[in-house]
Amino acid sequence: MMKRKRFLKVLTEYNTVLIFLIMLLVSALVSDAFFTANNLSNLVRQVAPIGIISMGMLLVILTGGIDLSVGSVVAMIGVLTGLFTYHMPLPLALLAALACGVLAGSISGYLVAFHRLAPFIVTLAMMSIVRGLGFMFSKGAPVIIDESAAVLTAFGSGKFLGIPNPALIMFLVFILTFIVLKYNAFGRIVIAIGSNEESVRLSGIKVSLYKYSVYAIAGALAALAGIVSTARTSVGSPVTGIAMELDVIAAVVIGGASLMGGKGSAVNTLLGVFILGMIGNIMNLMTIPAYSQQVIKGLIIILAVFLQRFQEK
Amino acid sequence: MEYRVELVNISKSYGGISALKDVTLKVGPGEIHAIVGENGAGKSTLMKILSGAVSRDSGKIVIDGQEVQIQSTHDSKKLGIGIIYQEFSLVPDLSVAENIFLSQLDSHGFWMKRAHLNQKAEELINSIGFSISPATKVRNLSIAHQQIVEIAKALSEKVKVLILDEPSAALGTHEIQKLFDSLEQLRQEGVSIIYITHHLDEVFEIAGRVSVLKDGTSGVSLDVSDTHKDELVRFMLGRSLDTMFPERQTALGEPLLQVEDIIPSGQETGISLSIHKGEVLGIAGLVGSGRTEVLRAIFSADSPIKGKLFISGEKQRISSPYEAVKAGIGLVPEDRKQHGAILSLSLKQNISLSNMKEITNRFGFILSGKEREIVRSLIRKLAVKTRDENALVSTLSGGNQQKIVLAKWINSHCKILLIDEPTRGVDVGAKLEIYHLINELSLQGVAVILVSSESEELLGICDRILVMRKGAIQGELHKEDFSEENILRLAIGA
Repeated sequence: MMKRKRFLKVLTEYNTVLIFLIMLLVSALVSDAFFTANNLSNLVRQVAPIGIISMGMLLVILTGGIDLSVGSVVAMIGVLTGLFTYHMPLPLALLAALACGVLAGSISGYLVAFHRLAPFIVTLAMMSIVRGLGFMFSKGAPVIIDESAAVLTAFGSGKFLGIPNPALIMFLVFILTFIVLKYNAFGRIVIAIGSNEESVRLSGIKVSLYKYSVYAIAGALAALAGIVSTARTSVGSPVTGIAMELDVIAAVVIGGASLMGGKGSAVNTLLGVFILGMIGNIMNLMTIPAYSQQVIKGLIIILAVFLQRFQEK
Repeated sequence: MEYRVELVNISKSYGGISALKDVTLKVGPGEIHAIVGENGAGKSTLMKILSGAVSRDSGKIVIDGQEVQIQSTHDSKKLGIGIIYQEFSLVPDLSVAENIFLSQLDSHGFWMKRAHLNQKAEELINSIGFSISPATKVRNLSIAHQQIVEIAKALSEKVKVLILDEPSAALGTHEIQKLFDSLEQLRQEGVSIIYITHHLDEVFEIAGRVSVLKDGTSGVSLDVSDTHKDELVRFMLGRSLDTMFPERQTALGEPLLQVEDIIPSGQETGISLSIHKGEVLGIAGLVGSGRTEVLRAIFSADSPIKGKLFISGEKQRISSPYEAVKAGIGLVPEDRKQHGAILSLSLKQNISLSNMKEITNRFGFILSGKEREIVRSLIRKLAVKTRDENALVSTLSGGNQQKIVLAKWINSHCKILLIDEPTRGVDVGAKLEIYHLINELSLQGVAVILVSSESEELLGICDRILVMRKGAIQGELHKEDFSEENILRLAIGA
């Protein structure tokens, strides 16, 4: 009886890992093509943008907030990166693009943290505004990056030690987030805010500043993801990243984070990203039509979250 | 003798740890039966078993001579058992009337008859001696009034057995008296009342019988007229209580904090007070007299300070808790669970929160060795009962949770500590430790402002007491004028 209880406890504590392993197993069983170097390399490259953004989203969700604008930021920054390459040297263009992402996140963060507006509404509005700006800047057409920035395209489609560069950036962002959440005061305070904001405030901590920061970081990471996608495709398109925020939120939630805040980890979020990615990947390999894919994806998300409910019981 | 409720040989364990062992409790009709015991003695668990919120491992429950099966709160409700928990179960955005009749709302057809509900709610509340507008949203009520709504809700379900888990914790002296009156009235109507409390005075005031639980086993059940306070304390602690309060040797230093005409949020009267280094200043008054607001104003918890604040003669500009902490002020809030401790985090994370600087390097990275050392020494110093510093605060008893909040401020090395109702819902043993801790802090030169509803407590550990009434300081008592009567006289304006 005790043994069973302990087993159940381990099961619920590591359920994201478990779901990940099951997905891996199922993928290997249903398709011979899954465990090929080519496919795995494809998989990590495909999930990279979502993986990068998910770390920012995790921070926001840990404080009990949400950021719906990230998909729009990806598109706008893609467009801006393309445009900037025509007007300035590449390093400056990239910096300027990142700064625009930080600015977008900062506006949401400022309104949420200092004016106590609801994150859902503020970022919903930002989603619309930023998407519109993306179309305005690009006049509705994709922006091909300038030849002078060929090194960016080369980087985007390149590999290092056999790993696609976009995925390397994702892993880098993951490691940073992991370290900050585990070993840094910033991470600890972010988690504490999501657990009990008022107690943290009454402990003499500038809660607003931290809440502001997580949106700014989420904006920066969404911008980074926008640059990475543009680098990979050499095009900044105003229609990329539509509904991407939903995939990102799904990944974070599959990773066991609570939308109420205070609960979630970088490792599990990354696993969530891969679980979501594998669902798409394996269905592509099985040539399941796109419409059915959406239905199946939704069902698997519900199942994953269901399994996590055991944790609370 | 015929009993209304018999709990016979009830046992319950959580994951191998025994919470209750062969506990037996018998309550007759028309009897007020008090249950006392330290936190963790199993009082709440026993009541949750009776109300069906928790399932028992063994033992039987007999109601009116018949053995019954209680598997859920629904079962207990059908048997006429009502329970009022320490944590309220009200819906903040519904009105008083809607809350009272929540479980019966669906039995009135499609349309809610609001006027009818309001009228019934008002009658019910009036019948226990209070007046609260039934259309008010519960969110806007004081904690005391929320408690009254809880009681009215239980009564609306026409209970035969009413369980109250520390109902007086949130109430002031006046409201407690009214509560007692209504309980007495219910008793005369034949309702059996089980009353869990930490206040032994209350036992002698209203209960007919009293049972002591200790470490999950049933100790004694006595007629209240056959026992006295010291004996009960002995049964609860297993040892005798020499003195409740530490020997107070005041060592007043120079003036430390001076507040001039600060206006607490939601109040109109300016408050001025001053406190010396090493002094323990009490603030007494009825619930709602503005005591909490004064502490929160000094700490800038609600809005920037309106008025002047001097520390060691220097004027301070404080506009947020951040700046208050920087100036050396700490606040132990009234609501331990909502504003004090962070229950879902570890002891370590809670204690470090007020002084992250000390345990981090330049880049904000946590020096875990140093942190562990600091936290462990505080846990030892405050005798916190816990597995280790990584345990969650939610696993601690109320008294130990409060010690964690205090530890947080000791860790911040604050010079001025504002403490609001530190012993509410805390067992006798932990109370003693908290009193000694406050005493020790003051000996180290910390100026303590202590708000409490327990006059005894203020008289025991303070050097000076301010009494508030209707948002203003009504008077100041020095050691030679200390008496419960003097406090009460000023508090009610007699």
